[in-house]
Amino acid sequence: MARQRQRATDPVMAIGQGFTLAAVILCLAPMPLLIVVATTANWPLGFWAGGITINWLREGWETVRPYAFFSVRLACIVLVIDLAVGLPAAWLIARHNFIGRQALVALINLPLAIPGIAIALALILAYPLARASGLLLLLGQVIYTLPFLVATLAPALAQPALVEREAVARTLGASAVQRLWHVTLPSIRSALLAALILVFTLSMGEFNVSFFLFTPLNKTLPIELYSAYITNRVEVAASITLIFLLFVVPAAVAIERLGGSKIGQA
Amino acid sequence: MLRASLAAPVVVLFALALIMPLAVLLRQSLVEEGSSRFTLANYAAVVTSLAYRRALLNSILIAFASTALALALCLPVAVYIERSNSRYRNALAVALTIPLSLPGIVIGFFVILLFGLTGAIPQLSLLLTGERRFNFAYSFGGMLLGYLYFQIPRVVLMLRGAVSALSQDVIDVSRTLGAAPWRVYLDVLLPALFPALISAASVSLATAFGAFGTAATLSRGFRVLPLEIASSFTESFQVERAASLSIALAVLTTAILLGLGRVAERAQQPRRENDTPLGS
Repeated sequence: MARQRQRATDPVMAIGQGFTLAAVILCLAPMPLLIVVATTANWPLGFWAGGITINWLREGWETVRPYAFFSVRLACIVLVIDLAVGLPAAWLIARHNFIGRQALVALINLPLAIPGIAIALALILAYPLARASGLLLLLGQVIYTLPFLVATLAPALAQPALVEREAVARTLGASAVQRLWHVTLPSIRSALLAALILVFTLSMGEFNVSFFLFTPLNKTLPIELYSAYITNRVEVAASITLIFLLFVVPAAVAIERLGGSKIGQA
Repeated sequence: MLRASLAAPVVVLFALALIMPLAVLLRQSLVEEGSSRFTLANYAAVVTSLAYRRALLNSILIAFASTALALALCLPVAVYIERSNSRYRNALAVALTIPLSLPGIVIGFFVILLFGLTGAIPQLSLLLTGERRFNFAYSFGGMLLGYLYFQIPRVVLMLRGAVSALSQDVIDVSRTLGAAPWRVYLDVLLPALFPALISAASVSLATAFGAFGTAATLSRGFRVLPLEIASSFTESFQVERAASLSIALAVLTTAILLGLGRVAERAQQPRRENDTPLGS
């Protein structure tokens, strides 16, 4: 009896394995399907009906190229602002206990609790004239991504070993800038990298906030994706989605490897 | 002084780009259409209008249904990923975090690709049985699947942390005492992971209430609150109505996050003394 139980896999884990397989299949099944649809000449007639083609992919790329570049540029600007504003805040939260620290943390985390669509509507109503310039789109994305940057950086900055090393550097006469550049930043390298990729990916894929804030001249990739879903052929929509995934999935894998996965809005 | 200057950028930015706009949103929700007279009529409309009440009920229904499904599916997943010594463990963990980076619209499109009119499953069923079946993408079932899709990675991530903090003895002891596997889940793991399950549920519910992209892509008739906000703003230009609906939605999600967060905290307290600061 005992031997039998040892040989058989633990049933608790067997249940876990079954559920895990189901979840993974559900999460990954759409990806290969996307490739099939994007390369099928006439998808509504069936799998690879009419032969295999790359015309849809080419057409999809032509359609989204300007928006893809716009999204990458926007994500880079968001990244720079997030870092400039978020890194000092994360350092402060990680290192100091001051009156209002809880309030600061709550303020930075507030966007997580408010639906993106409400943030966008609030921005439009407050600054109706700034919409055309694309400034609101930028502000909305910064507000939405900043909590993730701070949440990833603060724990890394709080490590006791790093605090000690900075203190040593100070007693050796290193200036604040030297300490930041030679001690602090190298020590939080992987958290920093995870945070940067995370912000970039979130900005690239952001839809709920951007949907109200975009203008014809400031149109992001997900907005163009949505209009392809509504109006375009399913093959082209699949092609554009595939192109979009090439931007975000490698980044997502990198974030997980760096241990920085964080939970955003859908 | 130094501290104040470090917090200043983020405080100024959030005051101008979040707090002030939210105050404007709140004010707008409390005035009459086209004038600046105070009124509660916009909120009254949210409660009395049949369409909005329907949307609110639909939002609650799909949020709770998808959360319940996600918790039931992901508890064993989290246990397996944290406890198994399989070689594929890491790959599985990565696979389950990929959906985190996908916007809701893409998830909606995935459901269409699988279960839409010309989706893969209906096409397969046509091939095999001669009948087009399972094309439920644009119904409640399709939306439920989409919501489940974006909740799986969130719930798994939140439960994994709690499972890894759990002592392996808990499972082993109950197994050697002869407990059936489903009893281990129900009588041992469920109570032990209760605080984490509540936290995961609150994040999952809040995400579902705010979800716009998935609903916008899949909804044909099954209206949820974010869709009503969007259409009252972009289609009928009722800014005040959109504002009051947004405030109602924001209050609802915040209340769920805070309320369930409190429950999870309270449930965790007796366990506090076991926390080891050297865990990582």
